Amino acid sequence: MISFLDGLGRLRRGPWELVATVLIALGVVMMMQPFLLAAYTWSFLVTLTGTVMFIVVSHFPEDPRG
Amino acid sequence: MSFSVTEPTRIEKWVAGVLVVVYAVVTLLPLIWIIGTGFKSPSDAIAYPPKVVFDPTLEGYVNLFTSRARLTPDALEELGPPETWYDRITRQYDMVITGPSLYGERFLNSVFIGFGSTFLSVFLGTLAAYAFSRFKVPLKDDLMFFILSTRMMPPIAVAIPIFLMFRQLGLSDTHLGMILLYTAVNLSLSVWLLKGFIDEIPVEYEEAALIDGYTRFQAFYKVVLPQATTGIASTAIFCLIFAWNEYAFAVLLTSGTAQTAPPFIPTIIGVGKDWPAVAAGATLFLLPVMVFTILLRKHLLRGITFGAVRK
Amino acid sequence: MTDKTTDRTPAAARLGREITTPLGRGIKGLSDRAVAWIFIAPTIFLLLAVNIFPLIWTIRLSLTNYRANRTNAEVDWVGLRNYERILTDPDIWNSMQATAHFLVWTLSLQVLIGFSLAYLINKKFKGNDLWTTIIVLPMMLSPAVVGNFWTFLYQPQIGLFNYVVGFLSGVDPSSFSMIGDVALAPWAIVIVDTWMWTPFVMLICLAGLRSIPDSIYEAAECDRASAWRQFWTITLPMALPFLMLAVLFRGIENFKMFDLVVQLTGGGPGSVTELTSINLKREAFEKWRTGYASAYGVILFVTVFGLASIYVKALNKVKER
Repeated sequence: MISFLDGLGRLRRGPWELVATVLIALGVVMMMQPFLLAAYTWSFLVTLTGTVMFIVVSHFPEDPRG
Repeated sequence: MSFSVTEPTRIEKWVAGVLVVVYAVVTLLPLIWIIGTGFKSPSDAIAYPPKVVFDPTLEGYVNLFTSRARLTPDALEELGPPETWYDRITRQYDMVITGPSLYGERFLNSVFIGFGSTFLSVFLGTLAAYAFSRFKVPLKDDLMFFILSTRMMPPIAVAIPIFLMFRQLGLSDTHLGMILLYTAVNLSLSVWLLKGFIDEIPVEYEEAALIDGYTRFQAFYKVVLPQATTGIASTAIFCLIFAWNEYAFAVLLTSGTAQTAPPFIPTIIGVGKDWPAVAAGATLFLLPVMVFTILLRKHLLRGITFGAVRK
Repeated sequence: MTDKTTDRTPAAARLGREITTPLGRGIKGLSDRAVAWIFIAPTIFLLLAVNIFPLIWTIRLSLTNYRANRTNAEVDWVGLRNYERILTDPDIWNSMQATAHFLVWTLSLQVLIGFSLAYLINKKFKGNDLWTTIIVLPMMLSPAVVGNFWTFLYQPQIGLFNYVVGFLSGVDPSSFSMIGDVALAPWAIVIVDTWMWTPFVMLICLAGLRSIPDSIYEAAECDRASAWRQFWTITLPMALPFLMLAVLFRGIENFKMFDLVVQLTGGGPGSVTELTSINLKREAFEKWRTGYASAYGVILFVTVFGLASIYVKALNKVKER
């Protein structure tokens, strides 16, 4: 957990890609869930944020320590 | 403790074999049924209970390739006796053959567009794959991802502007338009697959050739190409199968001259519910792919995963 | 003149090494950089023309109320209103849920059956290659043609599917219609998609199972680990990246599913099987609300693109194995 936050802080690729992946997955679930119309409405914004973030952070440096 | 994953016992093998064979037979049933229906007469095809044993006839195939008209008994009498075997089949229903149907034409469109786009995408793909494999290209990873992502696009979403663009350029319902479109869609697959194949060819051969005074182009087509033949051939078959099977673009962008078989086959049924003709059309269309699949079996995994899994 | 000896890391050796620059100087003909660009340019150009240019055009259209069947009508900029309307439209939300039902069930069934089949085939019984090839046949066929002939198999009474179900369960084969019944149609498309694409999941799982080295199992056997334990601690975790790859790929493909379902049910009865792509096609090419449909397309595209980035990440992970 600490190394995860540390990676976020030092703009490392791994943890940020994880955040973007979670956002995209969340957006897709929000888009297709049958419970709440509001969640559907905001799903696109979440997916878009995740996707743009993914493209940006995939250019961050890899953490040499893995 | 007799359990072992690496060396299954004879009973385990036997049980596994039986289960897999049962699944394979069930999975094949619909295909066999369709092939069989192509050889049924229209009344056999809609019999209840479904007929497993029937008198095979080529009616479906005759109906598939011809258009027919019904004549009055007098007019039929005037024509005299039927001359060929296919005439005889249609005369049973008081009909005469008035000409060929559109199926042959649509099938040839599929062949032409399929081979045209395959040739182009493999040609361009080989060049690009070679460059990506051997040279330092700036933003290589981004370009490779961009190329792959074009494959992922939902066809209907891109179809709107392509429809407008084709209309503007006069490419809608033309062979050229479809070939260019399928080439673009297939390029991603061919670049990714071929890059994998070329990566596996040792660089040393080319280096030796370059030292011997070959130019880069000569090294490419005299040293690399011959070694990549298998890869190029299997890539070509994958591209061909994709173009052959494609439906979404074909149904939206073609309607007549350049229409391929997939959007056409469902229209064969017509008002007469002529299932044998549909089945015959589907059989002729699917058989080549089945044959190619069997030929490809060694490279199948590689093709469907964009070269990620090599076996 | 070459310094081939440098930079020979194992990873580079595996993925095909780039020829290092010094080679470029001594040889005849064009420079490597020029050759690289000549080789790549046509591909990039074609993809830009057929994919990126249309995409930018879609985004532009999505901000207007353009209608492609009325080229003379005035086109107004409507800003983000199209997006707003789509994202609050309960009908489109419904078709998202139809897609969700299709996705969840096809993926679970395919993973379950596909993995089991791969597990069985991996027992290496005699003739497993032949049977694998036979099982794979459906997925190579044209989905539209397959969908079309399944409508025949689904006919009440005369259809093979209804007959077999009737024979096995005792239900009258003419009493139900898989594609005509609101309750059954969503399952009709799930069944055909599962029939068609289970082999895909199976093939990738099989590759995953075959990538597990025997030595790991042998070590586990020495430790007297039970079959159950070996499965949960070795087989499943080691095959998981492959399974993820298969699920992501099928997920993306089924999210944009069009050809198979449009031929099978055409979105009906009513709109119970109207998946997003079919819904979109209706808006774009039947109602001709081009601007609105473009916004819809952009939403689907961004979603697929997001999933595709995850897919490529998974792909690279598997490649490293």
